[in-house]
Amino acid sequence: MIFPILKRLFMAVPVLLIVASLTFLLVRIVPGGPFDSEKSLPPEIVANLNAKYHLDKPVHEQYVLYIGRLCRGDLGVSYKYVNRTVNDILFDAFPVSCQLGFVALFLSVAFGVPLGAVAALGRGGRQDFLAMFVSTLGVSVPGFVIGAGLIYIFAIQLKLLPVGLWESPWHVILPAVTLAFSPGAYLARLTRASVLEIVEKDWVRTARSKGLSYQATVLRHILRNSLIPVVTVLGPLTAIVITGSFVVEYIYAIPGMGRFFITAVMNRDYDLILGTTLVFALLLVIANTFVDVAYQLLDPRMRMNAED
Amino acid sequence: MTLIVLFICTCFIQGGCTEDPSHLRKPYEDGVLRVNLGTEPPGLDWHTSTDSTSFDVVSNLMVGLTQYTNELEAKPACAASWEVLDGGKRYLFHLRRDVFWTDGKPVTAYDFEFAWRRLLAPETAAQYAFFLYDIVGARAFNTGESKDVNTVGLKALDPYTFEVKLAKPAAYFIYLTAFCPSFPQRKDIVERYKDRWTEPENLVTNGPFKLSRWQHEYKIELVANEKFFEGAPKLKRIKMFMVPEASTAFALYENNELDFVDNRSFSTPDVERFRHSPQYKNFPLLRAYYLAFNVSKKPFDNPDVRRAFALSIDRKVFPKILRRGERPTSSWIPPALGGGGSDSGLGFNPEEGRRLLARAGYPDGKGFPETKLLYPNREDVRLVVEATQDEIKRNLGVRVELVNQEWKVYLATTRKDPPQMFRDSWGADFPDPETFMNLFTSYNGNNHTRWHSADYDHLIEAAEGEQDRTKRAELYRRADVMLCREAVPIVPAYLATQNIMVKPWVKGIAINPLDFQFFKTVTVGDTAAGEVSTAP
Repeated sequence: MIFPILKRLFMAVPVLLIVASLTFLLVRIVPGGPFDSEKSLPPEIVANLNAKYHLDKPVHEQYVLYIGRLCRGDLGVSYKYVNRTVNDILFDAFPVSCQLGFVALFLSVAFGVPLGAVAALGRGGRQDFLAMFVSTLGVSVPGFVIGAGLIYIFAIQLKLLPVGLWESPWHVILPAVTLAFSPGAYLARLTRASVLEIVEKDWVRTARSKGLSYQATVLRHILRNSLIPVVTVLGPLTAIVITGSFVVEYIYAIPGMGRFFITAVMNRDYDLILGTTLVFALLLVIANTFVDVAYQLLDPRMRMNAED
Repeated sequence: MTLIVLFICTCFIQGGCTEDPSHLRKPYEDGVLRVNLGTEPPGLDWHTSTDSTSFDVVSNLMVGLTQYTNELEAKPACAASWEVLDGGKRYLFHLRRDVFWTDGKPVTAYDFEFAWRRLLAPETAAQYAFFLYDIVGARAFNTGESKDVNTVGLKALDPYTFEVKLAKPAAYFIYLTAFCPSFPQRKDIVERYKDRWTEPENLVTNGPFKLSRWQHEYKIELVANEKFFEGAPKLKRIKMFMVPEASTAFALYENNELDFVDNRSFSTPDVERFRHSPQYKNFPLLRAYYLAFNVSKKPFDNPDVRRAFALSIDRKVFPKILRRGERPTSSWIPPALGGGGSDSGLGFNPEEGRRLLARAGYPDGKGFPETKLLYPNREDVRLVVEATQDEIKRNLGVRVELVNQEWKVYLATTRKDPPQMFRDSWGADFPDPETFMNLFTSYNGNNHTRWHSADYDHLIEAAEGEQDRTKRAELYRRADVMLCREAVPIVPAYLATQNIMVKPWVKGIAINPLDFQFFKTVTVGDTAAGEVSTAP
């Protein structure tokens, strides 16, 4: 199993190079530059700034310089946050997003999958209607509305939890719930659809007719088999959730990296845009590799295919 | 799953999230002020920073040769006194001997000499280097024309005397010595720590507070500097959080987790809700918003058309739609700076506007060419331009098309090829009419109107060199009349305001129109009513 994983990770190198090259080109096509501000600077000052950050060189030279630095693990410097490197910024911010993201991921799986399964097993009934109402709400209501609602109820009215900031484990609860809402709801809908499909299979009926209990059939046959599509989406979902959410970090004042996906573009902070994009791409590759491993654990047929 | 839970718990223990949440139940901490910066300061190197967030921190960490009072006078700080010699072309600063850095070393003229030279060095790439361009040889050194730093007219004559030679008299120069980019720096610290010299473990400062902690994108903590030459401040600690979302910051204030909030933490509904609260205050700022014409594009090459537009806009509409206490204005010089006046600009007079438009060949707006008004994509700006569009349509019969662009795209467009009309704004760098009036000289890079007038340039240059305050004010008033009544390349619209709320246990918060927030006289812990001192 190790060799395919290594092969997969090795294949990430050209993928990341393509991502870096395309992003490098795109950010330079967008009008406006990193040093444009409300107060225009004298051309001499702009020349000094461009020289400092090598932006006075032709684009192809800038590209070679960037790729050279990238090969040494140097993601460059921020033009907005003076004296801070992109590595510094991501090193500070990523662990925060990661902590929040894993809690949110745990919540979305812990609540989303059972909710979907319960809905499917009671198809057409009250529990199905209730579960689907909650999951439709989760998918369709934007994060900032859910966040504002949770702050109003639990922080301002009931005063049970803090409004925002990142001081103690108590401060994680509301943002994690907000962040988990949408993926949890999505997982619930996906699980429901998948369970409904599996329930109709002949081998489920066979298992029941051979005397296997309802609980055992659900746990050992239905749920296990219906998790395949869920695991498929968990790969990209993990990458999305643990790299942070602009909205959640913004409304709860959490120092994660999600905000940089937006602010770096607004500031035309070229190296920071590239850095966040590359981290996201790398995590996507890693998460998808884990998904492949999970497939083989869930479905023996895939293990055989891999061995072939 | 167990592993994930363990990982999260470990991260929190290691991440230092150890504060007791029970503090949330206390209304305040004695001697601790909690404020909201809104965003991460782009940097604490006062040479390369240009934004108000960084300056809010730096102006509590450092003092320069002079410091602002809340009445916006430059009073002595590191400099005990100064002499203005050679008709305003030479300044001799005599430094105090009791000002020390936080590591105990005295602040000397050599620290200013090093700092100002570093500000001008091309490799520093300081955006505010041009503030020192009035100094002999400064521009040439900054642009690399001259490599010899000794050609720049600044010199430490001895440890406590600092000499500055100007290329021409500049009456506003003393204000620049109170502005963050002109603060001193320590050569040994900057050279030893290089890009890391502003980190808390390396930074040495000379102001009322010291930097003790900087959690990037989250919080900055300052502690009292016991060695500050004016005496230690009354606060023990300032916690500056970076809460970007205004409604969250305001909820934190309502939950007693912040003691003081300003515009950064106020949404318009909150301003409405608390307008009559004793904790609320509103102050005009030296930040003006205006409508600009590209005078090189038809039909705005005709001054009658520009005047007609200026006369057709009732500025009283802006505070009604923005609802933050904005002050309508038709003059470009804010009243707090003197020199302007209510008679400088063209007020609301739609009849006269229609007459001028007819004289220009467009009676009742008939035959008026297609006109575009560009604005950056922001909610409050959208409200302003929509109101402007409505005023012009109703009073002149001219339909203006609104075009919005993302902020940086908008900036690029206004610099390269602005449409006939665009919305813009300007905030003062120092408390002198010069900061506003120089903007529309033919040589100012921020004049995007394409309007050039040799007469206007001469007036501004004469005012810059005039040492007599009354005569200077008159020169600026004449320039203001030319700008807002005669040539009219711009239509001043309104002055922004600062809205603040202060908890009753906080005393001594000082607000000034430049929007610098000095916390050295603030106290926290008295249950008396909140007290705010203000500049007129």
